[in-house]
Amino acid sequence: MSPRYVRYDNARENEYVAAMRQLISKDLSEPYSIYVYRYFLYQWGDLCFLAMDDKDEMIGVVVSKLEPHRDGPLRGYIAMLAVREEYRGQGIATKLVRMAIDAMIERDADEVWKEIWLEIEMGMTEADNEQIVLETEITNKGAMKLYERLGFIRSKQLHRYYLNGNSAYRLVLYLKEGVGAVRTALDPYGQLSLPGPEACAGHSHAGMGSLM
Amino acid sequence: MLPNNEVRVPRPRVGQPAVPRDITAEFTEAASKLNTGQLVKDEAFTLFEAVGALEIMDSKMDSGYIAPGENMEQALEDDYDVRQPLAPEEIVGLMDQLLCHEVAWHKGHPLSQTLFTSIYLDRLLWPVPRTIEDARFDRVPSDWPMISLVLRAYCLALVKACDLVHARVATEYYYEEEDFVSHLYNRNLLSAFDLSHFHRLLDQATAWVAEQTDIDQNLKEAIRCRLAFRHQFLSALDQDLEVLETRSTKDFESCLSELGPLTQSISLGKPVPEAFSLKIQRKLASTVPPRPMVHLSSDDALAHLKRLCQDAIDMQQMLDYTGPNNFKTAVWTLLSRKPQPSIYIRCLLQALIVCNFNILGTVPVKDFLYGELAELVLPASVLLEANIDEVEVPSDPRFQIAQKMDGFVKRFSQPFVDTVRCACLNRCRLRRTLCHTILDWDNLQMEAEELDLELRVLSAEPPMHLTGGEPTWSFPLSSWAYHQKLVHFRLFIQMGFELSIYSPEELPGMYWYLSHIASTHLGHIDRIRTFTVAARKRDLMTPDPRAGKAAQKASAFHRSFHTLERLTTHIIGVDAFAIALHALYVVLARHRILPTASSPQAYSTDRLRYEIRMKPFIPITLPELVPYDDYQREAALEGDSDATVLERASKAIAEARKAWEGTLANGAFIEDPSGPSSVTPKAIQEDWNRDAKDIMRACIGTSLAIEMVKKGLAAADGKALDLEVTVPEVGTKARWHDWWVVPQVSEKKKA
Repeated sequence: MSPRYVRYDNARENEYVAAMRQLISKDLSEPYSIYVYRYFLYQWGDLCFLAMDDKDEMIGVVVSKLEPHRDGPLRGYIAMLAVREEYRGQGIATKLVRMAIDAMIERDADEVWKEIWLEIEMGMTEADNEQIVLETEITNKGAMKLYERLGFIRSKQLHRYYLNGNSAYRLVLYLKEGVGAVRTALDPYGQLSLPGPEACAGHSHAGMGSLM
Repeated sequence: MLPNNEVRVPRPRVGQPAVPRDITAEFTEAASKLNTGQLVKDEAFTLFEAVGALEIMDSKMDSGYIAPGENMEQALEDDYDVRQPLAPEEIVGLMDQLLCHEVAWHKGHPLSQTLFTSIYLDRLLWPVPRTIEDARFDRVPSDWPMISLVLRAYCLALVKACDLVHARVATEYYYEEEDFVSHLYNRNLLSAFDLSHFHRLLDQATAWVAEQTDIDQNLKEAIRCRLAFRHQFLSALDQDLEVLETRSTKDFESCLSELGPLTQSISLGKPVPEAFSLKIQRKLASTVPPRPMVHLSSDDALAHLKRLCQDAIDMQQMLDYTGPNNFKTAVWTLLSRKPQPSIYIRCLLQALIVCNFNILGTVPVKDFLYGELAELVLPASVLLEANIDEVEVPSDPRFQIAQKMDGFVKRFSQPFVDTVRCACLNRCRLRRTLCHTILDWDNLQMEAEELDLELRVLSAEPPMHLTGGEPTWSFPLSSWAYHQKLVHFRLFIQMGFELSIYSPEELPGMYWYLSHIASTHLGHIDRIRTFTVAARKRDLMTPDPRAGKAAQKASAFHRSFHTLERLTTHIIGVDAFAIALHALYVVLARHRILPTASSPQAYSTDRLRYEIRMKPFIPITLPELVPYDDYQREAALEGDSDATVLERASKAIAEARKAWEGTLANGAFIEDPSGPSSVTPKAIQEDWNRDAKDIMRACIGTSLAIEMVKKGLAAADGKALDLEVTVPEVGTKARWHDWWVVPQVSEKKKA
């Protein structure tokens, strides 16, 4: 019996968010606070989709957001994705991600981003520029394949971050031609592969420390 | 990007000085009007803040949470007696547990999840000891010397070793929480205390153990070598930058020799898990949720330590400066070791690369820069000699040249040295920094061009008339800058292979792109050579009357031609190999036997994927971005039959093999009989040779794959190819070299 797919509804937060947290937290060593869920759901609830079984229990969820990146391209971001273990391998996750991307396309998105952590069950957060990026994956080899089948490609590898000591890949999908050439506000080439004016411990400027 | 340590800390908000008043009623009233889940936030509220929020009273997020029924004292303090006697095997076990935690910290885990879970260390370091005598487990020392003397000496020396590592890493350029976590949680790693205290305590402990008659001989030896390791490790770390003077590998070698018996006796130890506790995290000043203890196996820990010592020993072989090429090769080769040298080694090397404003502490950065220019573009040139002449007449062109060149040195030294130093970053950061470097050098090239124009007039450089008769000049400085850019362009693409960035369907295109950059580079080197030949001709026609000058110049030109020749052979190797793999992959893709990551139902297209790949290069002026349609035509080898394409692959791979044989024969380092005598860095040379040989193996693998495809095509006779292709992953045996992805082609297994 195939699951029923529904769009998240803010009016049903009490019922949905609890189930969603349970589904996602299961694989997380460190759970997200309620504020993280609300951050996404209150602003981009229409980009969140749920899969329900025949008893109307939640078996899958995708949470995402969409906003202009520094006044530049309209960037979608897949924040969390989870499918209940016994339902995995049936294409539910792919369907959910497709629904999210389709909804983004309807809203004229230029690109979609995703980061995948290797070797671990669920990833955590990484900080890049002024955005934080959330990671949720089930099994990451599988997750990587899922996104790559949809046409995402790896734009960079991220060295071990935070808790788990594992590396990750950032995946990018362009939905329109010419996105790469769109100038963004602060840093024209900030979003891809570039350290940009990154800070390092004890150093506040872009260079590798002063020499002369 | 924010430093990682600031991520979870909310930004301070600046505003009017607040006048406190009770807003409870107003707040309750306003809150009652909100729906559940409704988000009230200002513009500045980002995901940072949302993620930084902790839910108080949730045991997974709130490290101070005490469960109902839990006793406050029990929740915070462990019922562990640090004065109790321990059996010798427990002492050994405890030392090894601590060592594993120490290495886990070296590897980038925070102290709160590693060493600072030790109750012994907690007691040692808190309250902060004012004297070395204060640094003990309890106010009343244990009655057991095994604890109060032996274990204490071991722990103190371990903490001091951490202090030295922390001091070196924290002063260099590294990525917090990626490479290393520098947080000390308001503890002090005994930084105020001199090494002699620790050595003295270790000596006392060693002497005491030696005197004991009731300890098993093997256990005595196990404890002895552990104390000895701590002694040597402290001395080795204490050497730090002084290694430039001492040139001593003695201490790290002693460490290695103690690690032998230490490894042997691991099994004698009996771990004491109750001596470690996560409760300590509750007391450490930190805003993060409770996090689990990191468990590193002793095998992994010892392997890491052995590599650290070996890297430190081998690093010393490159401390003699023998020219820019050799220096750069040695740094790159050492840091490309797999696994990559530890953060401590990478930071130490960073500090040594430029020490006291000098390369390796001895060679002024300007000499490094001029050495490179003389080798590549300006042998025996007035531009590099003008400021040696000490001409003080402002109207003299040489005076003006000297001034311009001084400006050049000021502007270019830092970015040039950074191209070397960036190899010290972790590999992911290195790749991204390379991209940054390419952009920087794009701008630097333009600045150098301006200078070239001015210098050309001052040095009265005669033009050359190349094809077409238009006059052209050498543009030495910008030529050199362009060379830098092309080197880093190539490395950036190759690091993409190393880090498994490209999907299988991108491989034909990426190897095409690599060959595009390599052949552009070859063309550029030809241009440089043409102008150097012309300069040499001019030079021979106007002999320098000064004694010895002619020979000096001849040798400078010789060195330059030699360098250009080596470089050419190397880049031909890259270019030809890339052409061969490109051609091979084109045929595999045409026949749809190359695996693909994307499905036919994918949202993206080849064009959109190409756009993502090329995005970092959009702002670059030279080499120009290849428009998709041109790329598509060239990368697909449109119009060429399979036979033609495979012939191209065969020819190219033969050329590549020849070029790599040549490169291997040329060797890692340029030997200069006239230069200062120095020891060849043998260990680094071996790494370099192994790398070149791996590339040659990859060439042979490619030849075989090409032959397989040729055979398969002949057998298929127009029908579908009966071949299977796998793309070997990095780290597997079939992947001969990280940078050269040779497809494995085999006959399809019959179902």
